[in-house]
Amino acid sequence: MTALPVSVITGFLGSGKTTLLSRLLRDPAFERTAVIINEFGAVGLDHLLVESSDEQILMLEGGCVCCTVRGDLVRAAGDLLARRAAGTVTPFERIVIETTGLADPAPIVHALMTDRDIADAVRLESVIATVDAAAGAATLDTHPESVKQAALADCIVVTKSDLADPAANGLAERLQALNPGAPKLVALHGAVDATQLFSKRTHLALIDEAPAHHHGGINTFCLRRKKPLHAVTLSLFLQVVAEHCGARLLRLKGLVDVVESPGRPAVIHGVQHVFHPPAWLDAWPDQDRSTRIVVISQGLDARWLQDLLELLDEEVKACSIS
Amino acid sequence: MLRDVLSGALRLWDVAGTVEPDADGLIVTVGEAALRVVPRAPHGWLVVRGDETLGVHAGVPGLLRHLRDELAPHAKRGRLIIGAQ
Repeated sequence: MTALPVSVITGFLGSGKTTLLSRLLRDPAFERTAVIINEFGAVGLDHLLVESSDEQILMLEGGCVCCTVRGDLVRAAGDLLARRAAGTVTPFERIVIETTGLADPAPIVHALMTDRDIADAVRLESVIATVDAAAGAATLDTHPESVKQAALADCIVVTKSDLADPAANGLAERLQALNPGAPKLVALHGAVDATQLFSKRTHLALIDEAPAHHHGGINTFCLRRKKPLHAVTLSLFLQVVAEHCGARLLRLKGLVDVVESPGRPAVIHGVQHVFHPPAWLDAWPDQDRSTRIVVISQGLDARWLQDLLELLDEEVKACSIS
Repeated sequence: MLRDVLSGALRLWDVAGTVEPDADGLIVTVGEAALRVVPRAPHGWLVVRGDETLGVHAGVPGLLRHLRDELAPHAKRGRLIIGAQ
């Protein structure tokens, strides 16, 4: 069975998630899309703003998908898949989940990747965050939820560009520093090149050295290493990071030069302590052959992680020699 | 480099302490508790309190786990999960 791609659209309250989703569903390339909308409050409204076949829109109301209705999300996705298999709905080709404006995307990503009821049937394709060009900077200053949404995204869509220029007001620079690996698309009234939103492999190939950056409790940095790492080192490194850094690690993604796989770098990608299995590229995407691991965190020490990586590799090397 | 990694780990666990060299290895002190970390041939580490060996570890991951359990039992523990996809 081929796993069905699932994308998560997140973004702060009023940042244009529903407008973006509505435009996407009008694109012929995405007409076979099932939608799960999570609304906060007793009466859902957002689904009324999305024009699509009702049979493929499921509502999760009365709580936020990242906390109180996480189980509902899994059940909703499972229900959609069952209806698809039974032929009682149009055979959709992807699922899009729109979160509440206050949601932390991390638990949603974790559920999609690890929940036994759906993880084999779906494939997390991308996390898309909308950021309002006019109010985005102020929102990032005052609402840590919005910082986390942007930090965890595979792709950031800057909305309401008719109201403000994100390059002129500093928002574009700030988003680049916060999440350097994520492409930034600018939408006008929700219109954006949809194909760019749904290509994780492209996103991963764009990993580049992130300038060290610290703002609002979030720091972004890049670990670099010119010598290849042993595969065991990589495994141990991720274990230690997951075990000790906990929720302070927001996101880690990297291209890793592995001793045992010359010329074929590993792509690693994790949200907090949950990682995708490493993917192996057929070749390096650019001339730079060094290991680059971009970390977005809440206060982790770049030097500590770099020292840890070197120390682990020294140990592994010593064991393999002796 | 081990000294830097252990010092950083104390900060990560939110405990105030020191890591100082001694004749055999390192002494990690947090409050009243002092543990010695001694290299073990051909590789690995011993964790020693006074004359008592508390643990033997083949590498840094086990060593860090042991020190955290002894010196920062309140620190949150995570677990690496590799998703199905």
